[in-house]
Amino acid sequence: MSKPSDLIHGTLDLLILNTISLQPQHGWAIAKRIQQVSKEVLQVSQGALYPALHRLEQQGWIRSDWKVAESGRDAKFYSLTKAGRAQLQKELDQWERLSNAVSQVIRLAPEPSA
Amino acid sequence: MTRRADILSLRLRSLFRRGRVERELDKELAFHLAQQAEENIAHGISPREARDAAQRALGGVAQIQEECRDMRRTNFIETLASDLRYAIRSLRRTPAFTAIVVLTLALSIGANSAIFSVIQGVLLRPLPYPQADRLVRIYFQSDSQPKFPINPNDFLDFRQRNRSFESLAAMTRHDVQLSGAGDPAMLSGFQVSAGYFHLLGINPARGRDFSAEDELHGRGRSAIVSDRLWRTRFSADPTIVGRTITLDEVPFTVIGVTPPAVHHPGNTYHEVAEGETVDIWCPFDFGENTKDRGSHYMDAFGRLKPGNSPQQATADLSAVLAQMATEHPNEKGWRIYTLPLFQETVGRTRNLLLMLLGAVGLLLLIACVNAANLLLARASVRVREIAVRSALGAARSRIVRQLLTESMAIALAGAALGTLFAFGGVRVLVACLPAGFPRAAEIRLDSGVFAFTLGVAVFTGLLFGLAPALTASRADLQHSLREGGRGTTAGAHHASLRSALVVGESALACVLLIGAGLLLHSFVNLLRADPGFRAQQVLTASVTPPYEQYRPGPQRTQFFKSLIESLQNAPGVAAAGVGSDLPWTGYDENLAGWAIEGRPDEYNSKTTARYHDASADYFRALGIPLLRGRSFDDRDTHDSPHVVVINESMANHYWPGEDAVGKRISFEDHPKADKDWIRIVGIVKDVRDLPDSAGLRAAFWMPYTQFQDRRYSVVVRFTSTPSVAAAQLRQAVRQLNPDLAIGDLLFMDQIADAAFSGHRFALCLVALFALVALALATFGMYGVISYSVNRRMSEFGLRMALGARPCDLQRMIVGQGLALAALGAAIGLAAAIAFGRLLSSLLYGVRATDPLTLSAVALLAIVTAAVACALPARRATGADPLRSLRSE
Repeated sequence: MSKPSDLIHGTLDLLILNTISLQPQHGWAIAKRIQQVSKEVLQVSQGALYPALHRLEQQGWIRSDWKVAESGRDAKFYSLTKAGRAQLQKELDQWERLSNAVSQVIRLAPEPSA
Repeated sequence: MTRRADILSLRLRSLFRRGRVERELDKELAFHLAQQAEENIAHGISPREARDAAQRALGGVAQIQEECRDMRRTNFIETLASDLRYAIRSLRRTPAFTAIVVLTLALSIGANSAIFSVIQGVLLRPLPYPQADRLVRIYFQSDSQPKFPINPNDFLDFRQRNRSFESLAAMTRHDVQLSGAGDPAMLSGFQVSAGYFHLLGINPARGRDFSAEDELHGRGRSAIVSDRLWRTRFSADPTIVGRTITLDEVPFTVIGVTPPAVHHPGNTYHEVAEGETVDIWCPFDFGENTKDRGSHYMDAFGRLKPGNSPQQATADLSAVLAQMATEHPNEKGWRIYTLPLFQETVGRTRNLLLMLLGAVGLLLLIACVNAANLLLARASVRVREIAVRSALGAARSRIVRQLLTESMAIALAGAALGTLFAFGGVRVLVACLPAGFPRAAEIRLDSGVFAFTLGVAVFTGLLFGLAPALTASRADLQHSLREGGRGTTAGAHHASLRSALVVGESALACVLLIGAGLLLHSFVNLLRADPGFRAQQVLTASVTPPYEQYRPGPQRTQFFKSLIESLQNAPGVAAAGVGSDLPWTGYDENLAGWAIEGRPDEYNSKTTARYHDASADYFRALGIPLLRGRSFDDRDTHDSPHVVVINESMANHYWPGEDAVGKRISFEDHPKADKDWIRIVGIVKDVRDLPDSAGLRAAFWMPYTQFQDRRYSVVVRFTSTPSVAAAQLRQAVRQLNPDLAIGDLLFMDQIADAAFSGHRFALCLVALFALVALALATFGMYGVISYSVNRRMSEFGLRMALGARPCDLQRMIVGQGLALAALGAAIGLAAAIAFGRLLSSLLYGVRATDPLTLSAVALLAIVTAAVACALPARRATGADPLRSLRSE
């Protein structure tokens, strides 16, 4: 199974779904984009990316089509399905709740004495 | 919905267009690599390095591919298919191994399926009546009688006053002679109360059920015939309803025909086995005398109202009974006993069947252990193959899975073959079932049995496959590869596991052997017990002279007197007589509360004894010894003072230390006149109700001239051949009345044999299973010792070089086997003692901890182990000291 060492477990799906929600992308571009937007903080390991894409496709959240990429080669482009869009919204809400909760806990926790 | 459809189409695509899916994956990853390389080049790296760096960044392509395949979820099926192909290929390479394991598993799985199909047909399937769970049997019960038939007038009161039953019905056996439709024949018949078929939920195929009208006194000349009788005797006459037939020389009108295969629910008074065993039913005539509450001869049934339990019904009927007791002072000492019809029908087979299931279960476990043992032996040969596979990157889980697929394939093959065995086995089993075994006709292999077999196969596959798979996959890679498969550490582990398995196997086999031994011991006890009569060279038959032709009294006496005389005058006949019943056929009549002269009423109210009637030579013909006094003779006529012959138990119980001959008893409540008293004239030896009846019961016989039954058993002791005797009996009856049918023509040793059949059946099956178990355990022992000897050959060589004699080596090896066998036997004995009481209901005169059986089994286990070790031990002495010295 995939080991998203650089990502909090379970967030890779969210990032992928979110990245392709604007327009269909191929795998390499998805990884690149996550890296760029997060200012190189989030590194998507390739070994995790493709199994994740295949899993999401098997779950019916995303769909793939072969198209010609900018480079002129055939590439597999992933796009959101209708069910995938709903799933993205669900995962976004969930993430929102989780991160709020985590930051609240951190803020309330006593400052470590220097 | 669309998502589901998407998913389904994707899965199907991955499964059936696998090549294309794989190519797409390659292409996708290649595209990724190219993009990465291009980017690297843009950063000013040489194209070649750029490609390498990209490859590094992507990581192991093969791994990503494998993970992507996992994500497709169909990988499971693909792996299974490939594992299966691999398993079959590897099993084919070792045909002897495969054949042995599959065959032993098939035998034990087949035995399990066969026994289970009996359990399914007898104990699990509901009785063949609608809402059969609401049907109950109703009995009287007293301190001396656990299950007693009902009195007809009591039945009428119950039927009228109960509140918990939808309907009640009663029946009593009433075989009739059919004449005027082919040869005269005795039909198995019953007289039943109105609505009997309705209660069972059976609608006549033609005509109607008995109504309240038919029950009225003097009306009962109607009959319902079975589908079988209608077809065999009346050639399926479509106009049968309304037709007149002759039963017992009296015209009856057929009012109905049952549907095919009507199931008689079984009865206890003059028992007829359940099943398709009855030919004809007539209405019961309750008569006009509602005072008689003393004669009990009806089997009562009830259909509970929905939601009512048998307990509620018991309480309800007990309230009615209490009411009746105030109205009829004689009605005392009785309780109500109801039980579900299902329990009544099959309850007595439960212990036997569960014991057999336990026995085949043990056998299956032994076969599993045996298979595990063989797999382990095979695994130690395959260490290198497995090591190579893991070196090539197969995960341990993957290897375990592969090995489990192999064991599962073996188990399923075993189950498939076992099912074939079961098809044959069930036929043999049903043919060998003890006499009167309920629902035998309903036993077959059905979908439930197949599901059970499949479940057993999966369970077995896991059970015998898991330990070897885990052990084998643990093999130390480097070690195995370097040592070229000799892997000594793994080998040692295997050896100890295999020893443990052999101990387990011997223990299980011992449990089965002890079971078989106990059954054997109890069977021997049964055979050795004095039956009280001599069954050899005795012919029996039943004769029921029609009532209208032979009225009770001198007419009927004359008939039997002539019959007995003509038989006794026939050449080769040593003695002939008639009696109300035969030894070892249970009992039907029991009389309680008879008086003994000179004893207080209180004592007399507690007396109880079986009662029969017989002719003078009945005892002589059956070989029942007369111990004191005399048997009946010509002096005992209808008009002479009443006499009785009693058995030993009755004499000892009621006249301890006295001579019972000459004492008088009475059946009257207040005997006054001389004619109320019956004198005891003789004492005969005891005969049990059945050979395995727990105790001896008091019993007496009246002369048939003074008390008469409807149906008589004729007994003929012959010195000629069976066929001559049978012809003589037929001839004697035909001479007296050519229209009289003879029923139940049987030899007494056949009857005695049937009385043993339950014990013999249990013994034969368990002994068979135990022998197979012993063979498997011996085989397993041989395998382990032989393997250990092979591994230690060079050690033996060294030992011989150092001066060990061949007999020392042999002693050492046999000792090793005996230690395992002794440990197994000890565990088996302990288990057998712990579970022995489960068997106790099937034993006769033997306790479950019978020391003779236990020690015999322990000895047998040790001896067979020694035999199993003998061959390997001899091989060990062939070790070559020189070669050992050179190789070390």
